[in-house]
Amino acid sequence: MAFSFPSIEWVDEFKKQINLSEDYKKAGATWTAGPVVLVISAKPEIGLNEDVGIWLDLHQGVCRDAKIVAVAEAQKAPFCITGDYARWKQVVKKELEPVKGMMQGKLRLRGDLPTIVRHVKAAQELVECTTRIDTKFLGE
Amino acid sequence: MSYDANLNFVFWSPTRVVFGENTALDVAIEAENLKCKKVLIVTDRDLIKNTDIPEKIRKALGNLCVGVFSDVEPDSGIHIVNQGAKFGAGRGADCLVSVGGGSAIDTAKGMAILIKEGGRLQDYLGFQVLTRPQTPHIVIPTTAGTGSEVTYLAVIKDHQEGRKLLFGDYHILPNVAILDPKMTEELPPKLTAATGMDAMCHAIEALHSLQREPIADGLALHAVRLIKEFLPKAVENGKDIMARGQMLIAANIAGSAFSNAQVGLVHALAHSVGAIFGVHHGLANSILLPACLRHNADACGEIYLNVLSALRVNVEIQPHQAGDIVADKITEFTKKLGLPQRLRDVGVPEGGLKECSELALSDGAIVYNPKSISDAAEVLKVYQEAW
Repeated sequence: MAFSFPSIEWVDEFKKQINLSEDYKKAGATWTAGPVVLVISAKPEIGLNEDVGIWLDLHQGVCRDAKIVAVAEAQKAPFCITGDYARWKQVVKKELEPVKGMMQGKLRLRGDLPTIVRHVKAAQELVECTTRIDTKFLGE
Repeated sequence: MSYDANLNFVFWSPTRVVFGENTALDVAIEAENLKCKKVLIVTDRDLIKNTDIPEKIRKALGNLCVGVFSDVEPDSGIHIVNQGAKFGAGRGADCLVSVGGGSAIDTAKGMAILIKEGGRLQDYLGFQVLTRPQTPHIVIPTTAGTGSEVTYLAVIKDHQEGRKLLFGDYHILPNVAILDPKMTEELPPKLTAATGMDAMCHAIEALHSLQREPIADGLALHAVRLIKEFLPKAVENGKDIMARGQMLIAANIAGSAFSNAQVGLVHALAHSVGAIFGVHHGLANSILLPACLRHNADACGEIYLNVLSALRVNVEIQPHQAGDIVADKITEFTKKLGLPQRLRDVGVPEGGLKECSELALSDGAIVYNPKSISDAAEVLKVYQEAW
């Protein structure tokens, strides 16, 4: 079954895949820096009428909670990564490496970059988890 | 040079660059071109105390100048940026002219954000957070090394927390860089050499970065050529305006190269010995470069052959031998410049290397090193070689 990105169902599946991943468990074992929110900017042409935040409560290699939040809530997280729908699609399809995307202005990071860098392997494993989700993209 | 078939990159270097002897005195024209009417000079205490450069710029700005903020220190802090922004906003500043080295330029980048957006600098921590152009900023470098006049990065220290914060945003790229060789002629030989080697490291690291690309490569290789030829001349005779000018150009294009291609292990390690033991950034880079070249040698043979060619070293060798030879040539070069050769010579205790190794793993630059390095023990080995 394909899950629409972004949707509550997709986010639930993402949480499941993260917690099934032994590689993420190992790579994210030292992460104690708090939740990370992925914000997808609105794109009404494809039916995304407002910004959507995917809140990931990550802690020591485990995803304790994953939910959709409004952008105001997203801003409260210590790490907030924002991008256009097309950019997130590239990330999910492994066409864009997130840290490189931040450096090139394709994604915007609010938060401490060195903390992300220290856990770059964990970030890569999170991307790996998204590739295991049967994803249906808006506008396709 | 060969590139991956799926090469893709963004090259972004919108800063207007003005070069020439006494061009700094045209600063008012540049400010007016930006439609600015109230200019604040941002400079450092040493420059005010030991040179007449800030005063020359103030006079050149005439009535446009609404004040001089001169509290910048080496390793500028967020408290200084906050003070400076408050000072500038109080004077109604609509343009900043930074005069100095990396600290003054980076302080002004931070102030440019706060004067436009308000709030605290910490609120803008991150990468590409800003969504609109910031306060116009003209840079007049008084060193030839940092390249900060054309980079989208600012490093500001949080003195309370004891760590350096990294701000990266296309909207903090300065609008204009005025490269006036007269502005660097008073720089003492040792600082000339150390800042020049900072530029050399920017160039070589841009070349071996995982994000290397053809435009940045072209700039970086030319920077290496210029530094090889003109840095010794600028160190030997600070009044050699030709050499000073070529070094400003070298630092500028190396800055543009690494702002796009990024840097690697040398910078990650240099930032850490700088943060923990206060080693001058250019000096730390200079000392660490040979050890890092040897570490990366087996992954960068072809690249280092090109570096050798830019250094005008003609030898018949295989690519895998190039790293060691470049490292030897760099050591030879820095010895001639009179620079210290070992970390132990600049106040780094051997017992402190472990802490530096841990910190280096959190540095943004390490992600772009051509050989993946994720283990503190591996980093420690490189430090030990340079110690």
